[in-house]
Amino acid sequence: MTTALAADREPPLARGPGRLRRLRRDAVRYRWLFLLMLPGLVYFALFRFWPMYGARIAFKNYIPFLGIDGSEWVGFAHFQAFLSNPDFPRLLVNTLVIAALSLLIAFPLTIVLALLLNELRLQILKRTVQTLVYIPHFLSWTVVVSITALLFAIDTGPLWTFFAGLFGTDANMLADPDWFRPLVLMQMVWKDTGWGTIIFLAALAGVDQEQYEAAIIDGAGRWQRVRHITIPSILPTITVLLILHTGQILNTGFEQIYLMSNSLNRTVADVFDTYVYFAGIEQGAYSYSTAVGLFKAIVGLVLIFGTNWLAKRFNQQGIF
Amino acid sequence: MLKRKRIPVALLAVGSLALGACSDGGDNAEPLESLDIMAPFFSAVPPEEDDPVDKALSDLAGLDLSVQWVPNTDYGSKTNTVLAGDDIPDVMVIQGKDQSFVQTAEAGGFWDLTEYLASGDYPNLVTENPQVQEAASVNGKVYGVYRARDVIRTSVILRQDWLDNLGLAQPQTTADLYEVARAFTEDDPDGDGEDDTYGIINPAWGGIGNGSPYDAIETWYGSGNLWREEGGELVPAFTTDEWLQALQYERDLVANGYVNADYATMDPATWNEPFLNGEGGIIIDVQSRATQLAGLFKEQDPEHYDQYVALVGQLDGPNGTYALPTSGYSGFLAVPRAGVQTEDQLKQVLTALNELNTTEAQNLMNHGIEGDNYTVVDGEAVFDPAKQDFTDQVTGAWAQLGMNVAGYNAYPIQEETEYDKALYQQRLDLQAEDLANAVFNPAAGFVSPTYTTSGAQLDTIIADARIQYIAGQIDDAGLQAALDTWRSSGGDDVVQEINDLYADLN
Repeated sequence: MTTALAADREPPLARGPGRLRRLRRDAVRYRWLFLLMLPGLVYFALFRFWPMYGARIAFKNYIPFLGIDGSEWVGFAHFQAFLSNPDFPRLLVNTLVIAALSLLIAFPLTIVLALLLNELRLQILKRTVQTLVYIPHFLSWTVVVSITALLFAIDTGPLWTFFAGLFGTDANMLADPDWFRPLVLMQMVWKDTGWGTIIFLAALAGVDQEQYEAAIIDGAGRWQRVRHITIPSILPTITVLLILHTGQILNTGFEQIYLMSNSLNRTVADVFDTYVYFAGIEQGAYSYSTAVGLFKAIVGLVLIFGTNWLAKRFNQQGIF
Repeated sequence: MLKRKRIPVALLAVGSLALGACSDGGDNAEPLESLDIMAPFFSAVPPEEDDPVDKALSDLAGLDLSVQWVPNTDYGSKTNTVLAGDDIPDVMVIQGKDQSFVQTAEAGGFWDLTEYLASGDYPNLVTENPQVQEAASVNGKVYGVYRARDVIRTSVILRQDWLDNLGLAQPQTTADLYEVARAFTEDDPDGDGEDDTYGIINPAWGGIGNGSPYDAIETWYGSGNLWREEGGELVPAFTTDEWLQALQYERDLVANGYVNADYATMDPATWNEPFLNGEGGIIIDVQSRATQLAGLFKEQDPEHYDQYVALVGQLDGPNGTYALPTSGYSGFLAVPRAGVQTEDQLKQVLTALNELNTTEAQNLMNHGIEGDNYTVVDGEAVFDPAKQDFTDQVTGAWAQLGMNVAGYNAYPIQEETEYDKALYQQRLDLQAEDLANAVFNPAAGFVSPTYTTSGAQLDTIIADARIQYIAGQIDDAGLQAALDTWRSSGGDDVVQEINDLYADLN
């Protein structure tokens, strides 16, 4: 907020020596703000930028014993090996399908839930529901998958019985490739939809109440108020989150997928993250898995810029 | 602004310190004063430096033992961190021939012990089982003293009371097993008039050649153990006709419902439960599970606990009699060159390891301190229940240093009852019987570069295809397609490399 105010007061930064002088003056004037920024900067420098030095091993045949400097330089060999791997198309499709489910179903559900919560009049009810839907977020994936295994245990699990009756099947849903994606989606929705509403509820709290009063006087119903006031007001927030989500599209999350996968559903369950685990940790192919990780990061970066550009084109605010 | 400028400088300073430390190995040709060992532990807490076992072993070894205990679950990643750092111990427990170990060994990071162990200067380090030492080696080079394990562990465990109810004999062949599994499913073995039982209990199991029930059945059918020699060439077991035959047998068991429905997803940690609860009646697993199950029945039914568990050795297949052995070792103790720099120091280390394999040391590592936490009655170790925590720490930590390559002569543990004693004796008898038919992996000692880099994925292709075939998800054509994928993903290279090594070393 403060930077925005400062920008309002100051004319745009000039080029040349004047700019330097102004910077120095700003550094003194806003020294406490700079001091506040310091821990954040140190964090990023130490834990985000410094480790990138180690990403060099993607271009080397890294052997721990020889060290990073002593290992042989191989250029893009690991990237080539990955892109020409026969598993690559399958990994890409599986990753994109799970990402699409998350983006097209789980993400909108978060907005819907936030809108529903926002319409609750009774404060105590609203608070209780909010707290309840936050809880699953704090359970680890191991716990969520264990609960799923109990609920969907073949012949005995209550949800297995329910769905088996509904669809007239006797498949082992935990192992069936057709059930993998629905189960994973259900878990995602159950675990994180509630938590995801926080940021939208914050945005909703910022909507000017007078607009609603004016709309009520004009005779707008509840649905019309949601459609013409609430949604347009939180649209920038939605756009920003969408852009950030898109950047994460190749990060399906390792734990959930790894724990849910088994011999019978691996055709649909193998994603980049589990692949990196198999290649890197199980087989000790550090260079190769770093190359895969780097590839994912670059795709993520491209997607963030792409969505941002699109958002701007459609007359929305981007994030930068 | 000034503050911001300083950050990167400070970072660079820290970074160069770290780098400097890495390259600073230190040259030291002096005799070793202590023996630094890195080892995994399973106990709740690792032993302290003033541990009585540590003292007693140090006296035996003639060097002060200083063990860096690492929780077993973190051991793999810790190994790599230690190898990349500058504080490398004198002796490291290496848990497997994974990529980073093999690369390090081939880059000269570990002493080649082949000649030293063969010299006979260290009698307690001369293996009584050359096949196992060969399996633990890397293409003919022995980089460590292996930690010996039982060679025969696989067995068939059945509900004896169910066999008795149905008047069935213990199975001797795979065909018998099929019939027993059918009867346990269809003939109401518990006599409650309800159709609530099945035959074989099978948990989810990934990978191939790691002692799964599938591996056992395939070996009994004569597929070989991971690799098989055919006309002077080594072929993967899963390309043999016997393998396919075994898979069809397994598929029939599953299709008829003689196996638990959740065989592809069942948590192996709950393996005992259906057996105890009377849902399933057959487990194909290690012999020690029979002892474990008998113990659990003892809690349920102390009067008749000796009537529930039948332990049967490995079964005859339609093509002959074959038994599945383990690899016979669980990793090895290797000597990094960074810690032990001269040959004199190496000899010091080997002398100490030799002393750590005496019967006295074996008793210390596996039982603890005689007269303190255990006493010897009739030549058998009896533990003091009041010092159980200490005993658990000894068996969960010190026992991990045990190599026992020249034989294990520590006191046997006294069994509680006659039944326990008889069961233990039966295990030993079955081991001796099955060892005569054991099918060893002829390629165990070969490390193929392709397998090292992509073996886990290659194995997963086969392991998944196996389960998919058994589940009826894919047919013969689908299985063939999976084999083709395996071949094109590097399998053909592995076959070529293994056969080159086989030709070179024979």
